[in-house]
Amino acid sequence: MLPVTHYLFLSFALFFIGLTGVLSRRNLVVKLFSIEIILSAASINFMAFARLYGDATGQVFSILVVAMLALELLVALVIIAAVCSRWKCATGDYGKDLPSQLDY
Amino acid sequence: MLNHILNAFRTYMHGDGAVLLPEMQLFLFAIGTLAMDSWAANTSSEKSGSNLVFEQKYWNPAIALAGIAFSTLTLGMLRARIVQSGELAGFHLTLVIDNYFVFFSALFLAATALVILLSVNSSTISAVRQGRYFALLLFACISMMLMVSAVDLVTIFLAMEAATISAYFLTATPGLSNRTPSAAVRFVFSSALGSALVVYGFSLLYGLSGASNITQVARALGSRHNVAKVIALSHQSSQQGLQMLQLLQSRLPEAVHWHAFTLEALPIAAFLLVIVGIVVKFAVPPFQAEFNYANGEKDFGISGPVILYLSGAFTITAAALLVRLLFTIFADSQNIWWYIIAGLAICGIGYGILGSLRETNVERIVVYSSIGQMGYVLLGVVAANEGAATAMTYYLFTYLFMVTGLFGVLITVGEKNAPAGFLRDLSGLRQRSAVMALLLIVFVLSLAGAPPTAGFFGRYFIFHSLLETGHRYIAWFVALSSLPLAYSYLRIAVYAWRGNKSGSESTPVVFGAREAIVLGICVFVSLAAGLYSEPFTRMARYAFGQ
Repeated sequence: MLPVTHYLFLSFALFFIGLTGVLSRRNLVVKLFSIEIILSAASINFMAFARLYGDATGQVFSILVVAMLALELLVALVIIAAVCSRWKCATGDYGKDLPSQLDY
Repeated sequence: MLNHILNAFRTYMHGDGAVLLPEMQLFLFAIGTLAMDSWAANTSSEKSGSNLVFEQKYWNPAIALAGIAFSTLTLGMLRARIVQSGELAGFHLTLVIDNYFVFFSALFLAATALVILLSVNSSTISAVRQGRYFALLLFACISMMLMVSAVDLVTIFLAMEAATISAYFLTATPGLSNRTPSAAVRFVFSSALGSALVVYGFSLLYGLSGASNITQVARALGSRHNVAKVIALSHQSSQQGLQMLQLLQSRLPEAVHWHAFTLEALPIAAFLLVIVGIVVKFAVPPFQAEFNYANGEKDFGISGPVILYLSGAFTITAAALLVRLLFTIFADSQNIWWYIIAGLAICGIGYGILGSLRETNVERIVVYSSIGQMGYVLLGVVAANEGAATAMTYYLFTYLFMVTGLFGVLITVGEKNAPAGFLRDLSGLRQRSAVMALLLIVFVLSLAGAPPTAGFFGRYFIFHSLLETGHRYIAWFVALSSLPLAYSYLRIAVYAWRGNKSGSESTPVVFGAREAIVLGICVFVSLAAGLYSEPFTRMARYAFGQ
């Protein structure tokens, strides 16, 4: 196994990539999967430490993080759909696709 | 066979199930509310409601209130049990019932009951979504109780997520407000970012300690200085270095891979991530106000009782969680990180004051100022002695009732097509209803911190504990910053008491028993906790086990 600091550097890098994405992009879909990048950085951390300590808690936490991520994406997309149905974006507007209309 | 099943059920209920019992009861009643909602929707086409005991629109809140009553009774039984036999822990020490949990979940149940009573006649909650609204309130209450009950990183994270998902739906369901839920979308994203930060911080905490129970994490973090020294010594190629290496390999084999610097630096990163994550996650609604200005919207777009619930109970949950984390995991290095918390709190107070000074929307004034109030609570963490712990819980307790009372007056006074959102809507309140104007003044004075009321004593106890522990300049800041905060609150009272509306526009305020009960309880706590505060400080001390 590689020294655990290698995994830490990888997850720090992913964390900062995701953080920059959330803070500087205006498109909602891009924000959503930038948050997903941060959460997968945390998952990498959990699995690396679980391997280090031989403890299953980290792996359980990884699975829970992914499950929570899925739930949060679902809720966020439902809310975006509600907003878009009121603001009439992406319905019957030929020549425009949904992601470009989700700019704030 | 049946005996077998019953025995298993009884064992569960005496052990792990007892830890979850209040939440399970609320859950059952939330499901019952949804079932009642769909049953009433199906039968309303047949009956015209002539021979029903209640009107149909009162069934849902009645079931929700019954759930809260049952849950409070269970909480009382659990409290008696822990008085007898000490703390109760379940599910492999991930959930715990202790004094802290009993105090805060009683507070959350009270908050939920008050919001349910206020929102029965609220004009902004359409009858179509009522069942779902009350069920969402109960689900949010369940997850807030779980948040205070959780002592494991995994369960804390799950409870936080459950609470904020309930909040997303409360703010975003289209039937719950007449206006576009754009603030809800931004709330979802900021909150998701906050939870991502918190999860990353938790992963670092887990990595530093190899355990997820917060007492074990605290123990590992407490001994990290010694471990770092041993690691630094073991890297030397001398006899002593070899001895240290052997010691490490025998006692703590994982730590051989760590560098001493990593062990010292990572807890700081974890601390910052967890604190910033929780603040971004829960102190969120006012951030949206910046964007609302840009888009030309004048208010939050979220209905009154929901804003009350978010800025009252949710903020208190965040504060309770922060206090538990700071006092267990990060307790040993408090003399290092109090600077960070003090800076954060002072920035929060300043932001709250500056934000509320330029607002004309009453809801926004109160929400911005609530950031300031939470800043004062955080300053209690800076002065970490027994008096400060009591001060913080007393402050949170009285703050909930003051804010509920203030929003209660706003909700009662607002009508269907004239919600009392802006300061100018409140003018002439004295002509419309002297009682409401008086109550508004009492709540505003209490939040501003005028002496005989509870708000003054909350801030005074924190001021006193800061002086006791030697933080003189921060205590001066607490005293001096109360003045502009009081100004932004008192503006509301001035408009209500001295404004004049023309006679044709001023309709008298109609309120029933529900609003009277809520406002009566809130005004009682606001005044009694100030005039005779000993029972309330005793309750606050109880939360920390004294």
